[in-house]
Amino acid sequence: MKIASHLDKFRRLDATLRKLDAGADQELWIWTAMNAGVNLLNAALHACSATSETDSFHTQVEGLYAVPERATGVLRDAMHPPGDVMHVGQPAIAAPLPPGIERASAALRVIEDLRERFVRGSERAPADVQRDWHAAYATCVSELTAVLRAIEAVR
Amino acid sequence: MNVVAHRAKADSVERSLARCSAADYETIIEGCMLAGTHWFNVALHRVGLMATDADAMHAEFLSVGQRRKIAIVLADALAGLDTIESLRTSHVRGDLAGGEAAAQRALACLAQLKHSAESPVSPLP
Repeated sequence: MKIASHLDKFRRLDATLRKLDAGADQELWIWTAMNAGVNLLNAALHACSATSETDSFHTQVEGLYAVPERATGVLRDAMHPPGDVMHVGQPAIAAPLPPGIERASAALRVIEDLRERFVRGSERAPADVQRDWHAAYATCVSELTAVLRAIEAVR
Repeated sequence: MNVVAHRAKADSVERSLARCSAADYETIIEGCMLAGTHWFNVALHRVGLMATDADAMHAEFLSVGQRRKIAIVLADALAGLDTIESLRTSHVRGDLAGGEAAAQRALACLAQLKHSAESPVSPLP
């Protein structure tokens, strides 16, 4: 997707996240934080040219994209170099990444790794663990926002 | 995961969905996928098409053989989950127009999945 669309989605998902409680809404909080983070990550990866700002959507299959025909809304399968990532490292990025993106990716991976235990599984997290989730999300957002601002400043 | 645990997870996600408004369409579609997958597993376990230690994660990734069997006894549930999963590409990972309508469609599919999961079951032949 284009950077503008990623940023638009990030803002909407971040607003949704504020309506959710990491305890009572554990599953949807984790999933929404993950989706917000990956949209901001894709915007930053495109902005620093580590990945291409392509008008295509990542599918559930790593490396397989759906290319929209805008006039009709029909999607056509395609394989091309990234492009959007589905998750951190999926697909892997060959280019060296700015340190801020590396730090954000590590924080986002903390949230992605919660899926098995806390979303698909039945485990409930105590409040101190939920605070770690909030911290990981905040790190992800602040690091990527700083990267995007730095890139914008030199343009 | 057993049927009771799947129901509890689906109910939890559905309670969270109630906090979302129409503008939160990506999260609604994702929540329908999460809750819908639990209802799909309830249905699969109840009819005996899948053991409780072998949950389906995405309908898209079921084998051709599994999908053919499920299509015979749980056609509506399979169609509902397929639709929700397709909306993730177009409106969650993608930016096609009509996100709010897509979310309403996902909610209708979730209701269909829940209905299939809670309907009386006949033993497999």
